[in-house]
Amino acid sequence: MTDDNSNKRLTRRNALRIAGAAGAASLAGCGGSDGGDGSSGDGSSGDGSDGSSGDGSSGDESTDSGTQYSTLEVAHWWGEGDGLEAIQSVMDAFKEQHPDVPFDENLIAGGAGDNLQANIRTRVQNGNHPSTWQAWPGNNLLPFTDANLLKDIGDSVWSENSMEDAYLQGVKDAAQPAGNYVTVPLNIHRINNLFYNVEVVEDAGVDPISLETPSDLVDALSTVNDAGYTGMAHQTGSPWSSFQMFATVLLGETDAETYSAIFVDGEVDANSDALESAVETTQSYLDYIPSDAGSISWTEANNQVINGEAAFLHQGDWAAGTYITNDLTYGEEWDHVTFPGTDGYYALNMDSFPYPVNNPSPEATTLWCQFVGTTEAQEIFNPKKGSIPPRTDVNTDPFNDFSKDQIEDFQNSDAQPPSVAHGLAAPPAVKSSLESAISSLNSGASAADVVSQISNAY
Amino acid sequence: MREILSRLLATGGRLRSAVSRDESDGDQLATDGGATVKTTRRDSLRNSLPVEWELIESAPFWLPPVLFAGFFVYGAIAWNFLLSLTDYSGLGGAQYENLDFSMYTRMLNDGAFWQAAQNTVVLLVVFTVLCLALGLFVAILIDQQIRFENTFRTIYLLPMSLSFVVTATMWAWVYNARNGVLNQFFRLFNLEGAIVGLLRPAGVNAEVIQWLSWNTTALAAVIFALIWQFSGYAMVVFLAGLRAIPTEHYEAARVDGASTVRMYARVIIPQLRASAVSASVVLMVFALKAFDFIYALRGSQPGSNMDILATMMYRVAFDSTQWAYGSAVAIVLFALALLVIGPYLYSEYRRGEL
Repeated sequence: MTDDNSNKRLTRRNALRIAGAAGAASLAGCGGSDGGDGSSGDGSSGDGSDGSSGDGSSGDESTDSGTQYSTLEVAHWWGEGDGLEAIQSVMDAFKEQHPDVPFDENLIAGGAGDNLQANIRTRVQNGNHPSTWQAWPGNNLLPFTDANLLKDIGDSVWSENSMEDAYLQGVKDAAQPAGNYVTVPLNIHRINNLFYNVEVVEDAGVDPISLETPSDLVDALSTVNDAGYTGMAHQTGSPWSSFQMFATVLLGETDAETYSAIFVDGEVDANSDALESAVETTQSYLDYIPSDAGSISWTEANNQVINGEAAFLHQGDWAAGTYITNDLTYGEEWDHVTFPGTDGYYALNMDSFPYPVNNPSPEATTLWCQFVGTTEAQEIFNPKKGSIPPRTDVNTDPFNDFSKDQIEDFQNSDAQPPSVAHGLAAPPAVKSSLESAISSLNSGASAADVVSQISNAY
Repeated sequence: MREILSRLLATGGRLRSAVSRDESDGDQLATDGGATVKTTRRDSLRNSLPVEWELIESAPFWLPPVLFAGFFVYGAIAWNFLLSLTDYSGLGGAQYENLDFSMYTRMLNDGAFWQAAQNTVVLLVVFTVLCLALGLFVAILIDQQIRFENTFRTIYLLPMSLSFVVTATMWAWVYNARNGVLNQFFRLFNLEGAIVGLLRPAGVNAEVIQWLSWNTTALAAVIFALIWQFSGYAMVVFLAGLRAIPTEHYEAARVDGASTVRMYARVIIPQLRASAVSASVVLMVFALKAFDFIYALRGSQPGSNMDILATMMYRVAFDSTQWAYGSAVAIVLFALALLVIGPYLYSEYRRGEL
């Protein structure tokens, strides 16, 4: 009887198996169709048809309710210190000028912007992104422009307040990753700096001003090392510090055209000799960095410059703020030279506020973007942040001496190459692969190996 | 699994007997003999069903979990596989028209993938073996009726209760080249120079041991930290196994004149097979998920020295927005996990314990 049963009917086990498989398959089908829906939704928004509907809703808003604005949500990652204070001053000034705009500050700090960027990517795909957010301009925005997610604000924003005339070309280029203006830069940090502790270099007998090429710096580091100091304060725990150092060395050993050809256009193989040389120079610097560089942050490394244990620091000019808050005098206790070989260049790292399509608050966002592009906002933000204004017509009185020197350098610069370590030169996918290559550089891989990884990134 | 099913079955049977008793009571009241006819007819109806009646009766118990797991686990896996066949990247949507295995061929040509796969396998094997060995050793020590046994057991198990984020930060300090505890310890005995000479990779110019940076030591350092965290778990599993062995076995081995080593090697440890298998499966799955530890230590760019498939998957998908490629890496990771769990499940099935 039981045998009979098992022959005629399915056993319980088999039935469970079939039911399970059928359930999984049907549900997988559901999942698939969900995916299809999702993609069609995203696709249509990518086509710009939804973009126009977004504009349509903005029209509705203006006709129906006049000056009734939707809530302006501004997302940023300035979670502490100078940056937080600076952006809040800008926000306060905006709220003062536009008291009728409901304002929603959305702070997503951490990971040097990684957390915010991941958050934005998710929200953009779900179609509920904020009105605008802090973003590196340049090719960093290519994924957005490729998917038609950013609106051309050439007319609505860039034609206002004589912005076109007040920005230098390198900055304007970065604001139009796909050929039209989609974002408004608020501040500029410089990447090709060499900071040093005056007392230490004098004691070691090195004259930073005399350094003319990146390889001169290797000799200087060696001299400093022999004098009993750490040559270069640096961290190698995450690759970005070595990445910006490597890019600056390349800029110093070649020129802005080669730099852009490599990092923006991806002409790696044609320039492999220059790249290999830059890898080797950077690796020679790494012989003179703190022994625990792999497990500290750049601020911890920089403390050695502040304490007089290390001589040099290559870092963005946000580092200047650390000396000022430690009551060191510019020009006497700490000083700065343009990184050897990069005179006349101002390697750009910027933050900007793009204008997304399907904007939850079209008019308020236009107001915000216009405000970010004014001399007023940039004069409020940049002295506090320790950066310089992208506009060349901002009053320099509120800035400290160091920033004034930087502004002068900026306005007299021949070219403004975009920083590759901070997203301006290469889109995120390429940047991520380049960072992997720099990780190999940090761990002592051969120059040829690093360059072939760089080549694969493009 | 089998136990649950049989319990479900018993419940179903009880329900049915309760129902049929009511029916038969009613029948008895109505006519004589009619009840038997009815029951036979019902039975034949039941017999004609393609599945066992108990299965249908117990559906309220097993169907919802199957549907939920099917949708949230297996549906998601199937969708992920579908995504890996597309070319989905960037911020647009996925296109499901042209499905092919291009992401998998790309993976085969990607040096970073092979490096990550190699690290994953090394981590998996070395971590599991050492963890089991250490866990067994500690369990045998604790099983010697020592004083403060519970205290020691708790101490060994405690690291497992800590979050990876906490332990990663702590180990980053321990491994700090300048003032980390480990290097200070070696310095105390003037061993640092010797170790540097032994471990320093070619082309690196340093006088202190940089545990997390050198390609000779980075993965080993991670494995060591993970063993520290999880050997306590292996210890607890083995201890339970040891406690299940009757004292008579020890006594018999002693009476036969076996030495302690021989007794453990020949009599006791062979009986721990079940503990070892279940502990190693859990540990291997932990090893595949070592993502948290490495991410907390190094972020999404851990470098080729300690890049594993899990960190690579995250980096490719969420840093580079190459969703399809990330999905393909995830599918490989899934296949690895199946390779680990599959044989275990099959052996349990064969032994009738599933």
